[in-house]
Amino acid sequence: MSLPESERNVYVAPPEPPPSRRPPVTTVGVLGWMRHNLFSSWPNTLATLVTAAFLVWFVQAFVRWSVENAQWGVITNNLRLITSGLYPRAEIWRMEVTAALLVFLTGLGLGIWARVARSVFVIVLVVLGAIVFVPLIGARIPEPTIYVLIEPQRTPSSFVFLGYRGEELRVELDPLTDLEDVNTRQIGYVESQSRATWSTQARAAATGQLDLADHNLELSVRLLDRSGSPVAVRGAPVQARSTPDALGGSFTVELPRDGWYVLHVERNDEDRDNNTGYAWLRIDGVELFSSLEAAAIARQAEYGPPPDVERPLFAEDRAYRFEGTRTFGEFVSLQLAPFLSRIARESFIGAALFANGWVIGTLGKHEKRVRRAAILGWALAGPVILVILYGVQGSRTLPIVTTSAWGGLLLTILLTLVGITASFPLGVALALGRRSELPVIKWTCTLFIEVIRGVPLITILFMAKLIVPFFWSALSSLDLTVRMMIGLTLFSAAYLAENVRGGLQIVPHGQLEAARALGMNPFLTTSLIVLPQALRAVIPAIVGQFISLFKDTSLVAVVGLFELVGIVDTIVSGQPIYRPYQREAYIFIAIIYFVISYAMSDVSRRLETSGAGSVRG
Amino acid sequence: MANNNNREPIIICRGVNKWFGNFHVLKDINLEVMPQEVVVIIGPSGSGKSTFIRCINRLEEHQEGQIIVDGIELSHDVRNIAAIRSEIGMVFQQFNLFPHLTVLQNITLAPRYVRRQPRRIADEVALQLLARVGIPEQARKYPAQLSGGQQQRVAIARALAMQPKIMLFDEPTSALDPEMIKEVLDVMKELAQSGMTMLVVTHEMGFAREVADRIVFFDEGRIVEMGPPEHFFNNPQHERTKLFLSQIL
Ligand SMILES: Nc1ncnc2c1ncn2[C@@H]1O[C@H](COP(=O)(O)OP(=O)(O)O)[C@@H](O)[C@H]1O
Ligand SMILES: [Mg+2]
Repeated sequence: MSLPESERNVYVAPPEPPPSRRPPVTTVGVLGWMRHNLFSSWPNTLATLVTAAFLVWFVQAFVRWSVENAQWGVITNNLRLITSGLYPRAEIWRMEVTAALLVFLTGLGLGIWARVARSVFVIVLVVLGAIVFVPLIGARIPEPTIYVLIEPQRTPSSFVFLGYRGEELRVELDPLTDLEDVNTRQIGYVESQSRATWSTQARAAATGQLDLADHNLELSVRLLDRSGSPVAVRGAPVQARSTPDALGGSFTVELPRDGWYVLHVERNDEDRDNNTGYAWLRIDGVELFSSLEAAAIARQAEYGPPPDVERPLFAEDRAYRFEGTRTFGEFVSLQLAPFLSRIARESFIGAALFANGWVIGTLGKHEKRVRRAAILGWALAGPVILVILYGVQGSRTLPIVTTSAWGGLLLTILLTLVGITASFPLGVALALGRRSELPVIKWTCTLFIEVIRGVPLITILFMAKLIVPFFWSALSSLDLTVRMMIGLTLFSAAYLAENVRGGLQIVPHGQLEAARALGMNPFLTTSLIVLPQALRAVIPAIVGQFISLFKDTSLVAVVGLFELVGIVDTIVSGQPIYRPYQREAYIFIAIIYFVISYAMSDVSRRLETSGAGSVRG
Repeated sequence: MANNNNREPIIICRGVNKWFGNFHVLKDINLEVMPQEVVVIIGPSGSGKSTFIRCINRLEEHQEGQIIVDGIELSHDVRNIAAIRSEIGMVFQQFNLFPHLTVLQNITLAPRYVRRQPRRIADEVALQLLARVGIPEQARKYPAQLSGGQQQRVAIARALAMQPKIMLFDEPTSALDPEMIKEVLDVMKELAQSGMTMLVVTHEMGFAREVADRIVFFDEGRIVEMGPPEHFFNNPQHERTKLFLSQIL
């Protein structure tokens, strides 16, 4: 092509611009994202695969353990301790009022000032749905087998249980005659005492000190009703017998009515010397009672007191331990359902209050009255809650509950809330003080901040507990809980001050000049121009500090307060029956810590991005 | 514009000297500004123009000499400073609007908190001022949502809301895209015509020629030449002035 020289440098686009096209498929959407981010290069692909493999392995191992082996009953049965510590039972309503107030105000605040992600509502609905339906499903899943070891020292003995009309009960005597029997693993609930005895005997059997074949086994297992008279079906008493000639025995029966039953195990004592064999009693179709006091009261109200028998083996969930692996169905019916039933009432009330607050907040977002009420509500919440929880001297409805009885999640949240509300203004003041033009103020603030930041929190808490009151006797009369609150507050304030200082530094000098040129005094300039911008810029850091504070409250367990960690410590060390279930308990509180921390950081992200004012001009 | 010779000057600078450390930034500045006068200050970058007008509302402190604004001498007395600042409005090169407040809040903030005006009145005044600077519809927006020219006009309205007797402009159009300069200059012209006393640092020679009563040429911290625009542009005397004008015109 040969154009004249003059035209070669000229280009004129066609009058219409070309239509916009979509980008190539492999660069957008999920595939595009994966290609770009996960498999962009070979080391990246390798890293992705290794990480994924590790994640899958870890999650799978954890889920398997939780479903098949873990005993979450330690949580269900101790929920009151975990949430409110040693707060007196009769006064628990005050805790509930406090929680209700906080939940409502949170809903209100979120409705007004933050966007609540749709996923939150989905999660709440799923949880509420699960609370309703999982126990229903759980009730239809068959109970696992219960194993009780029948041994010479414990016969006769009686297994007390609640039966329901039409349900099938199957009882089997499984004698232990050789080593093979000893080593067979039971899958189901094994009475704790059985396991303890048998592990000793099994060792003896294995080393030949105990010859099982040497023992006779003449046993009968009879089904009795509440009054102790045998249950008979079509005239014949329901029973299973084992004799030396015919070892083992079983029966299956459809229970005739609802109520208490007793399985009575008796040894035929004619040949006393030799009748000392062992046998597993296998029971199918019986539900373990809940050991919760409330459940016991409900049982008693419906079926009367349990029968009074010699050597009862109560069907209580505390005294039995699951061995072997559970099926998922058993996990649902035995672990999940009781927990969900336990929290059902509180969850629904809580969700309703939250929803109420949220709806009011969302609708009233632009109404000054609603916003004022919310601010006032939050401002008053602190003192009101403290009065409700602590009580009033001489009051009958609100008797004093000393802070040493406060514990569990309640104490954790209180320590956090007090810490946040007290350390925020203090931190801001310290940050401003550190930038002050007056050297004395500046040095004092700097010294305070640096000293506190240079010392571990645990040291500060010990100082607050032991050392400070020693020097300053007025403080020794101060409650330990209050001293811990002060320690946490000072610690948090020093860190906050540094965060806020970072925010102050990014406010351009021109902002100060503009404010001064308008005749604003230093106080107005700081409060109306500098702080709003500085604080908004460091919201993530501030919330991060609050989250740290929330988690750091766990350290007060070391100085002897029973917040979440402290109370779980007491549960697993103070109640021998729960000692094997430390893992479950600590995992549960880890989940609580995580959920609350995550919610806090999520809210902060939403605060930050809301409002056009966050865009710098 | 109208020069009332029988009146007292509203700004009097006598022998003003200022140092930044050892650096002598203002040298023996003598200048009197009459009410309703428009004084345009020009000069090369770094010659001390900004420093000088910032001394007038005490954003900078001078070390020697006297600055008397509307009969009040600038001194360390905090009350004096507050009194003077509320008489003087200032417009910055970088606008310095408050990014966390809406346009309306930017304008009403000082009247409400410094002058303690009721909100209703402050809002009313602010809306009138927005209409005056030509952007009545932007009241609820945040500064970041406005163009540079609009932001600078908001900044002018913000300064005017304090009902100042004097307005200081420090290169108000230097940070603007060319197509927005005119809208800001138009507002300033209107202000000058309404009789506001103005001190304007600018490189807009067209504006200076058209609006200024007097042009002050700064160089190396001192006033080199001063006079009405006709004199200044057509018949400059000092070599430095001639060189400067030859470079920019
Ligand atoms: N805060 C300050 N500290 C030290 N030197 C400064 C400061 N402000 C300005 N200066 C110096 O003073 C001189 C005059 O500055 P300025 O008044 O901003 O000049 P102009 O506005 O005429 O460009 C410049 O050399 C500048 O570097
Ligand atoms: Mg300048």
